[in-house]
Amino acid sequence: MTDFKKDFPILEKEVYGKKLVYLDNAATSQKPGYVIDTISDFYRSDNSNIHRGAHYLSEVSSEKYEKAREKVSDFIGARDPAEVTFTAGATDSINQVACSLEPILKGNEVLITGVEHHSNIVPWQLAGAKLRSIPMDSDCNLLTDSIEITDKTKLIAISHASNVLGCVNPIKEITGIAKDHDIPVLVDAAQSIQHLPIDVKDIGCDFLAFSGHKMYAATGIGVLYTSERFSDIMPARGGGGMVDKVTLERTSYLNPPLRYEAGTPHIAGAISIAAAIDYMQNIGMDKIRMHEHDVYSYAREKLLETDGVKVYGNTEKMCGSISFNLDNIHQYDTGMILDKMGIAVRTGHHCAQPLMRFLGTEGTVRASFALYNTEEDADMLIEGIEKVRMMYA
Amino acid sequence: MRDAVQDDIIKQFVGLEWLDRYGLLISFAKELKPMDDKFKTEENSISGCQSKVWIRTYREDGKMIINLDSDAMITRGIISLLLKVVNNRSPQDILNLDLYFIEEIGLKSNLSPARADGLASIIRRIREVAEREAN
Repeated sequence: MTDFKKDFPILEKEVYGKKLVYLDNAATSQKPGYVIDTISDFYRSDNSNIHRGAHYLSEVSSEKYEKAREKVSDFIGARDPAEVTFTAGATDSINQVACSLEPILKGNEVLITGVEHHSNIVPWQLAGAKLRSIPMDSDCNLLTDSIEITDKTKLIAISHASNVLGCVNPIKEITGIAKDHDIPVLVDAAQSIQHLPIDVKDIGCDFLAFSGHKMYAATGIGVLYTSERFSDIMPARGGGGMVDKVTLERTSYLNPPLRYEAGTPHIAGAISIAAAIDYMQNIGMDKIRMHEHDVYSYAREKLLETDGVKVYGNTEKMCGSISFNLDNIHQYDTGMILDKMGIAVRTGHHCAQPLMRFLGTEGTVRASFALYNTEEDADMLIEGIEKVRMMYA
Repeated sequence: MRDAVQDDIIKQFVGLEWLDRYGLLISFAKELKPMDDKFKTEENSISGCQSKVWIRTYREDGKMIINLDSDAMITRGIISLLLKVVNNRSPQDILNLDLYFIEEIGLKSNLSPARADGLASIIRRIREVAEREAN
């Protein structure tokens, strides 16, 4: 098996005198040396503002920025790079859509699922929409047969994979249903872009949002894919770099994607996403997915086999996160001891309070995996859990 | 100013491995007298903690009596230590206290507002009550 860990400098670190076992990848992934070097090289030798200066450096950075857009466009199967907007992250992407669609959404309804992150709940509420969840069974399988669409339903906004449970939603089935009713679909791909193949044409969604930092790139950069069908929606933000003519009476805008990128963007961030895609593609996406699938399945099985562990959610396809609790031990207590063993997990409600209420718990322990995690990491987690149980016995 | 109770706590923690420190915290948690469920109300709860924390205070002979409880063991351990230091003192005494033991036993990171046990919120609440009582 290939050792991807060596590509990630931070993974050599020791914490509390123990070797770091990083299982908090759904919060953020670590960065390979290649991405770190790309960011550093940009600031050392290419840094300049884009699309503005009539000088050499500006041309270099503009070209790298636009190349990054093309790379992302290819990576997600967009028809045209103009469908790709760089944002500050998945949360920002969703907020921008909510802001742009506010006139349509206000007083109407957005259909979501019961597993959504707050970032796919709150922006719709801010836009004045009412939320309704697609029903699901106790394992968190969406009951797509029970989807009810009314005259008020103006958008379906669903996560591809749950940040808490790792459950993968049947997004293609849902876009199919949406198409029958001519309702646009937004897919929150923050927890799937790094794990699953994504082709927006195949999925048939109108919007797709994800963050760079969960796919081995920088923080503060994200992507919003907007299908050409919606290329004329109003921008959520105004400012420099997105306008054609400005008078005090009226402003006309540039065409997408620049229309949606007011102000100086996170240039180094955009370039870091391209570098992260290069890094993954150099390994081979199939190879990564196979390795991740093996490690994820191994970890999940081990947890299910362990006495006194309750694992939440069970869908046909799963990736990334596994949520669990130990009988009679508060998730926070579990996390604190694992931490002292060098095992980084997240505990709490994971920004998904409605899901916690559905599961009937205040919170969970979440172990989440990335391409560099191994079966040995999963073994360490199990060993950690045994230790936790001993300590609280 | 050094304080005998805090110095005694520090002595027990100093030199221990991290896991042993938490083992010790758990044993302090087990010493803490549980709060009666009827006092575990919304009004008595302290927000800003990932684990639930409840506080109850009253005056006895001019001293402040503080009860704290939590649904998480580590938080119980920390508040058990905190109570050893702050309980049974006059409100002014509490306000004058420098809680240096927290840093010295390695729990300083627990004071950051982002930390889930909300130690900072608990201390803030105790000080607020003490301030009210002192005036």
